[in-house]
Amino acid sequence: MKELEKTKRISIASVLFILVVLIGLLTYKRPAHMYAINSKTTLENITTDNYLISLEGIENKEYVLVDTRNEFEFQKGHLTNAINIYAPEILNEENASIFNKLQEENKTIVLYSSNPNDVVAPFMVLYQLGYKNLKIAAINNSYTQNELISKNITVEKSVADINAFINESIKKAAQKPKPKPVVKAPPKKVIPIKKKKKMPVEGGC
Amino acid sequence: MVNRKTAKFLSFRYTILAIIFVVLAGGLVLLPKYEKHEGINPDELLSNSVSPERYISTDELADKIIGQDPSFLLIDVRSEAEFSKYSLPNAINIPLKKLLDEDSIMYLNQTQYDVVLFSNDNFYADQAWILGNRLNFKNLKVLKGGINNWYKTIINPPIPTENMAAQEFDLYAFRKSASMFFGVVYPEQIKVVEKPVVKKVIPKKVIPIKKKKKMPVEGGC
Repeated sequence: MKELEKTKRISIASVLFILVVLIGLLTYKRPAHMYAINSKTTLENITTDNYLISLEGIENKEYVLVDTRNEFEFQKGHLTNAINIYAPEILNEENASIFNKLQEENKTIVLYSSNPNDVVAPFMVLYQLGYKNLKIAAINNSYTQNELISKNITVEKSVADINAFINESIKKAAQKPKPKPVVKAPPKKVIPIKKKKKMPVEGGC
Repeated sequence: MVNRKTAKFLSFRYTILAIIFVVLAGGLVLLPKYEKHEGINPDELLSNSVSPERYISTDELADKIIGQDPSFLLIDVRSEAEFSKYSLPNAINIPLKKLLDEDSIMYLNQTQYDVVLFSNDNFYADQAWILGNRLNFKNLKVLKGGINNWYKTIINPPIPTENMAAQEFDLYAFRKSASMFFGVVYPEQIKVVEKPVVKKVIPKKVIPIKKKKKMPVEGGC
């Protein structure tokens, strides 16, 4: 009798346990967005892949331009056929479905903004979520008289050799004092004094 | 009859329970996707990386370096070649490729120092920052504009024109003295040193005295 009671309890407990596990599994909600690649692979990929694209390379039927600036900037002027998805909103349901659709159609997503630096954040997030065919347009967009001007730029290009500049400045400073003491005195003006011509002696009285 | 059947079934009860658990455990192994899902939530990562909070301006950084603030580390994520050419004083070189190596993580994943990442612009530094942020590294910062901006503002500051606000002049004065700290020499610096040596020789004025020329005798009466 005592034995039976014990097994009964064990069975009840284990049934409850299984129930809890099952309920947990069924109600588990997958997060809306999942990383598809881990950080190490991401790092490896972004340092080896060529994801930058120039202004000339954009015109391709397989490319879809995505403007990550805000709506106001987008309305002011944008590249032809671009769609506007503001960077902080790329993970919204709507926008995520747009990206998924593009992905299914095997299109390449080209992100651009006023400069490449502004695209890094959305690019990196989408990249780690596993979107393939992501590119960044290496262009600068600015306005001149309300017209959008796009220019190619080289990302991470060093503008100046700082060491050379410092050495130059030292040299310049060292050179300067030499010419300094040579204060050019204004040349004396020589005003020729006209001598009165003597008139020939014209006799006297 | 029924009793016997249930009794037979019950004799297997432990085996059945064990099998269910094994199956459940096997299910966990079959979730390889979750393995790659490391770090903070993607939505959080996005909002962190969109916000400009991580940036530190060149002026702030110059101020820190000059003040010999010991609470921060400078990390140059450019290539070794570029690093050896020029870098900020006391910077550590971790090329972007090696960012997640064990040795490098030692610098990034700690709470003692603020870490300032920089590259030529802030493109690569931002990438490094975002990767670090995903892994929940604290205290990471990015130098806004990178070395290029450092050159434009600190090493070679633009001289304000006369119609600019007084603040601009103050800023220029700060930047100029900062650039002197980082090795740039201005011509007037030397002039100030040599000033007492330079003697001004006042040229003697030579006033030619005109001699009256004697007029030749012009006959007389």
